[in-house]
This record gives sequence, C-alpha cells and structure tokens, in this order.
Amino acid sequence: MSILVRKQPPVYPVEKLIIPEARLFRLSSGVPVYMIEAGTEEIMRLEFTFRAGQVNENLPLLASTTNMMLTEGSVNYTSEELNRLIDLYGAFLNLSAEKDRAGIVVFFLNKHIEKVLKLCHEIMFCPVFPEDELNSLMKKRLHWFLVNREKVPNIATDQFFESVFGKHHPYGHQLDEHVFEGLNPSLLKEFHSKFYTTDSLAIIVSGKIHEKTTELLNNFFGEITSGKSHFETSGNSLEGETGKKVHISKPGAVQTAVRIGSSTINKRHPDYIGLKILDTVLGGYFGSRLMKNIREEKGYTYGINSCVSSLELSGYKLISTEVNRKNLTKTIDEIYKEIMLLQKYPIDKEEIIVVQNYMSGEMVRMFDGPFALAESFRSAWDFGLDNTYFYRLAEKIKTIDPDEITELARSYYNIDDLYEITVGLK
Amino acid sequence: MINYNRFCLDNGLRILVHEDRSSPLVAMNILYDVGSKDEDPDKTGLAHLFEHLMFGGSLNIPEYDKSLQMVGGENNAFTNNDFTNYYLTIPSHNIETGFWLESDRMLELEFSRKNLDIQKNVVIEEFNQRYLNQPYGDTILKLRPLAYEVHPYRWPTIGMDISHIENTDLDQIRTFFFSHYAPNNAIIAFSGNITPDLALSLSRKWFGPIEKRSLKPREIPVEPEQKAERILTVEKEVPATAIYKVWHIGSRISPDFYTLDLITDLLAGGESGRFYTELVREKKLFSEINAYLTSDIDPGLIFVQGKLMKGIDIQQAEEGITRVIRGVQNGNGIKDEMEKVKNKFESSTVFANTSILNKAINLSFFELLGNPELINSEVEEYRKVNQEMVIEATRKNFVASNCSTLYYKSIREEK
Repeated sequence: MSILVRKQPPVYPVEKLIIPEARLFRLSSGVPVYMIEAGTEEIMRLEFTFRAGQVNENLPLLASTTNMMLTEGSVNYTSEELNRLIDLYGAFLNLSAEKDRAGIVVFFLNKHIEKVLKLCHEIMFCPVFPEDELNSLMKKRLHWFLVNREKVPNIATDQFFESVFGKHHPYGHQLDEHVFEGLNPSLLKEFHSKFYTTDSLAIIVSGKIHEKTTELLNNFFGEITSGKSHFETSGNSLEGETGKKVHISKPGAVQTAVRIGSSTINKRHPDYIGLKILDTVLGGYFGSRLMKNIREEKGYTYGINSCVSSLELSGYKLISTEVNRKNLTKTIDEIYKEIMLLQKYPIDKEEIIVVQNYMSGEMVRMFDGPFALAESFRSAWDFGLDNTYFYRLAEKIKTIDPDEITELARSYYNIDDLYEITVGLK
Repeated sequence: MINYNRFCLDNGLRILVHEDRSSPLVAMNILYDVGSKDEDPDKTGLAHLFEHLMFGGSLNIPEYDKSLQMVGGENNAFTNNDFTNYYLTIPSHNIETGFWLESDRMLELEFSRKNLDIQKNVVIEEFNQRYLNQPYGDTILKLRPLAYEVHPYRWPTIGMDISHIENTDLDQIRTFFFSHYAPNNAIIAFSGNITPDLALSLSRKWFGPIEKRSLKPREIPVEPEQKAERILTVEKEVPATAIYKVWHIGSRISPDFYTLDLITDLLAGGESGRFYTELVREKKLFSEINAYLTSDIDPGLIFVQGKLMKGIDIQQAEEGITRVIRGVQNGNGIKDEMEKVKNKFESSTVFANTSILNKAINLSFFELLGNPELINSEVEEYRKVNQEMVIEATRKNFVASNCSTLYYKSIREEK
C-alpha cells in the first residue's frame, strides 16, 4: 500500500447557487402569501408578519407588549387554554417584535395544520388583552429587565443604539424602570387595531407544503377585513447623539464590554453587498482580522466580532467584544488599527480567496432547508428585494477586487464617525 | 425514519453515515469519548482547554480554520462532562477536505507553547464571561460540589478553579492527547449529501493509517447514595432571589430516563407546564421557573430553578415547588396532560432531525450510548410512558434526602 501524502485534496469552487423561488398568491382579502416548497419531512413553518414593530410605537414597550400579549387571552380562550392548545398540537409558536415588524412564527407537523391555523387566527385577530395578565407580564418583564441591566454586554448594546439613533427615536430609546408601569389594555387594543391589519400582513409558508394550505389560509384569513393601517412613525428623526465616546461605569464587573460602530447604509443601497464582504474580512467570521489578532494572537478575549445590519429607516455596523479591563485600551487600539490597515493596504490574494470561499459556503448554508430558506427570503423581502439580491451578492463575492474593499473601508469606516461605548471598569 | 450505515475500521474507529440528498452540504461530526469526568481533581478544565488547542495546528496543517474556510466550510466544537465533540459542515463536493483536516489532528497536534499560552488566556476570558461576569453565572460552580461528593461531575467542564487552567503545561497536553485522542476512542458520523460508500472509502484512506492507541483506563468513583438533604445559601448583589434544587437520578440509559424526561416536561414544558401555570401565572411567586434533566451519561440530576418575584418569601416560593411536585406524585390530572407532552416531544424530535448537523451529532451520541437506533426509537420510548410510571418515578426521585438546594439570595438594597 502506498503511503498517504497528507496534503489538501483538490478544492472545488462552489457550484452555481440555485435558490428555489417563492410562489406568490393572494388571499381573497388581498394578503400576499409566499410559498417556498422544500424539505423532506411532513412539517411546515408559517410566518405572519405585520408592520407593527417598535418603529410604530409612541410609548416604550408598546409594540413588544402588544405582541407578547397575543397569547395571553382571546375572545374564546384564556391564556392558559391558548398555551395548552399550542402544546397539545405539538406546535412551536414564537412571538416576535423587532424594530420594524412584529408577528408570529409557527412550526408544526402537517397533520395538525387545520387546528394550528384556527388557533393562529384566534391569537392574531381575537386577543382581548386582559388586565391581570398584562400586569403580571409587566412585572415579569421588569424582573428580566433588572437582570439584563446587570450584564455589561446588554448595557453596552442598548447604549450603542441610543448613541447612534438618538434617545428619542424608537430605534434608540432606552428603557428605565418606570416605563414598565405605563401601559394599559386600551393602549394595547389601540395599537393592535391600528397595526395588526390585513393590509400590513404578509404570510411566508415553507416546508413540505400541505395540499390544503391555500384553501385553509383562505378559510381563516381570507375574509378578515380591518381598517387601513396608519403608518405614522413616532415623528422623531433619526439623529445620533453628539458624544462619540460613552463610558458607563459598572463596579465589580469582571470584564468590560466594548461596542464600536455607527449608522450606515442598508440593503437597498448598491454598496451594501460590498460592505458585507468588507465586514466579513474585518470581523464577520472566525478567521477575520479582529478574531485572529485579538483572540488568536493576543488572547485578550473569548470572542470579538463585527456585523452590518439593515433596518427599514437606516442600517448600522457594529464591533462587539468583552475584555479584561487590563487589556481594554490595547484592544480598542487594535480595533482601530485593523480598520486603518483595511483603508491603507489592499488585502492580499490569499486572504481574499479564503473570504470568497468561506462566504460562498455560507450562502449555501443560507438556503439549506425550509427554515433557512424562509428566513433568507424575508431578509430580502423586508427591503423590497427578491432573490436577485442574493444572486448579486454571490456574484460580488466571486468578483470583488481588493481595491474595491480598500475603497469601501475608506468611504464607510471613517474613524471619527464611529461611536465608542465601554461598560464596566476602565 | 432515519436510515444509516455503521462501519468499524480495523483501528477501532466507528463510522455512521446517513445519506440525505436534499441538502447540498455534508455535516461531519467527530466525537471523542473524553470529557471533564476524565480529569484529575487537581487538573480540572483540561478537556475543554484541549478542545481549544485542537484548532491551533496539527502535524501537516498549520491553520485548521483557514483550510476549512478555503472550501466554504464552517465548524465548531463543544466539551461536556462526558465527551468532546467537533463538527463541521462543508459543501458536498469539497467533503474530502474534512477528512484531511480531521484525520490530521487525530494523527498528531503541533503542541505549540505559544498556542497553549494564548488559548489559556482565551479560556480564562471565557470563564470570566460566562461564569463570573453575569448575575447567577457562578451557580453551577456552587451546585455541582454540593450535589456530588466524589464523582467528577462535581466540577464543571470549564474547571473547578482558574489556577488549574493557568498551571497546565505542554507535557500534560501531550499526555492527554495520546491517552484519549485515538481512532479507537472516536466516533464519526456523516449526514447529508454523501453516500455510505464514499464515506467509507474516504475514511479508510484518511483515518485507516492511524494506529490504535492504548487509552488511559477510565476509573471513575461511584457517587454514594445521598442520605440527607443538603442546603447552601449564598448572598449576592443580584436583582432577585433565586432557588435551585437538584435531585439525583439514574444514568442516561437507565430505564426510567424517558419517564423522568416526561415529568420535567409536565412540570416545565413551555408556558402550559404546571410550574408556569401554577407558580407564575396563578400564584405569581416566580418570574420564571424551569425544570430539566442534565442528560449526563453517568447518574445525573434533575434541575428545578426559579427566580422569585419581588417581595415573595423564599419559604413560600419553595413550598410552591413542593406542592406542584406533590400533585404529580399523587397523579392529579396527569392523564390529560400526557398526550400534550408526548405530542410536543414528537414534534421537537422531528424538527431537530430536519437539520443535517443535528442528525450527525445525535447519531454519534447514541452510538456512544451503545445504541444508534435510539435516533429512531426515542419517540416510541417516550410514548410508552404511562401514568403509573410517572407516579412511581416522581415518588422515587423527588425525596428530600436525595435533594440539594441552593438559595441564591438577593441583598440588593431596595430603591
């Protein structure tokens, strides 16, 4: 037998990305339904998403509380019954209220489809917001808030959004203990009737789609009529705070949390896909510049990463880490150093190939299976984009030029524009 | 139904393959049968530190991560009390790189001092981040030594003390590698776009030449039966008082494991669980409360943990827990709830198995338990549990003398 030579087997480029298209149909009420057929198991994922996010609220916590109260009592069931039924049908129901949108995502075995859809209708369109349940929810939320306020990463992230988007805008406002007493059932009812409407609803269906899905969706959601949504946003403009450096002291903290970043373009901007690639080089994967330098070469931290993210009205880029205070200054200096290196020198051939190949693999993972497909679909759909966005991204990953990355680093990472938040000991 | 093939190479390496053509990827999972229970009491945290070192370069490959990223792959790893687990997903046409990477680090690591020093720091920061820098983060550091007197489950995977990590030297690392990392101490499972034939031939090519090693025999002291209730109180500046209670149970393969699993689901399976319904929703004693099994391979624990609402007396809260458990012991209304938790278990299993990675991890774990077929039969085992079994297991396990309690009292000054 010949001796094995232990060198890397041939590396094949990722095959051409093929993303299953979502099929659109409309309920008789006009609600768009996007159907993505995928997977081998008899299961489905349904997402109901409304324009009912934080950006629509004029009081702190209103959007998230309205969303969380959907399963706390309806016209026909108490909160206890609703929760028992969800479990009895073996369904997983996630409530979510994000900055721009809110809704529910439900996962279930196809055999339970009819019962699950009926229940979803009850939850989304017949909530009664009982006062007792609201009071205990607010007490619990206050507890969770107090626990989270002990964690330096949470404090730092909250402060980052305030600094970047302004303390009066729903993207940026921070909570304090008093806001947990400011809500009552009629405020929630009003928010619900304004924003949980059919003209603000979209449905995303994925999985091995049950043959009766269209018929059942029409039965349960085809006839609903509701008033037009009033899409007023809070009226406050997005405006970053003036102080770029904020330190919040947290005596006794074992590590100091660091958040560095600023607002930026979102997915609608043509440069965004290039920025995604730049971000990956900087801190977006395990082999990134920040991770290599600050964790793998210096051992200052358990983890450091960066991200760029899109919002309806803006976008942001953010570098996050937690470090021992004795390495705090050195860490921050290294972060800026890495940004400047990207602005100064084009990245070399070998590194760009690693990033290209890593990101191409990541794109395969983004469309692997019914759940990933639905999430990726929504991440583009939210911005009025479709699969051409992903094809453009895939193409850019293959063809990006080192000078283009340098150029993007110069245009989008002006160090003087970056906010620097530290929480813990200095 | 998850179909799989099982092979064993001459050097003792076990291989399981589940082909799933619906995915463009292959998940590869490598489990080494070594965990923190295999450590010396004065050198704890070594198994987990070692997991970090596995990424620092091997005999022929200086940079593991870079080589994997080069083929569009992604990876991670975790260590627990029982085993150390490495996993990666790769676009299927590049899967051979996975074999190259994993066989090289099974063959031999680079053992660099610089890498050891850096990863010690990284692990110390991990210790700080997870266990010290957040409220209640040190709970596990206090509870394990309370519940276990002699079994190595008495220390957490991160280690008993930071000094153990600081004092690790290269010789210990080398010895650890050759006494635990070996084909005859590993299980590899593949799931996704790969045929059993290809998986076997590539395994033979890359792992076949690695010789069997003589392993350090496992000599783990048996935890004696707990005879009396144990209580520990700590006072800390945390926002709310918390209670943690643990009871000893049997091993992962003991016959009542599924019964106990079902009991924790009755108690705390989601918002319709008994704890939530009675103690959060109705009596408003807790802001959150949970129950679960540790799923350790050796005899493990049932955990019940809850955070109290403001102004609630700790004794009153604890009586609430006892009352709910007594309700199950008396069999009150259990029958109606059984169907619910069984349906939920079935769907969680089906959902977990939609991921090729989960399937690969589960196949390896069940092979470690000695029965890979559990990947298909667990739902049936769980469905078999009946009311009598629930009552019997609750009465047997939830007894005061078998219990350790940690009162985590808030000494925050009221505003």
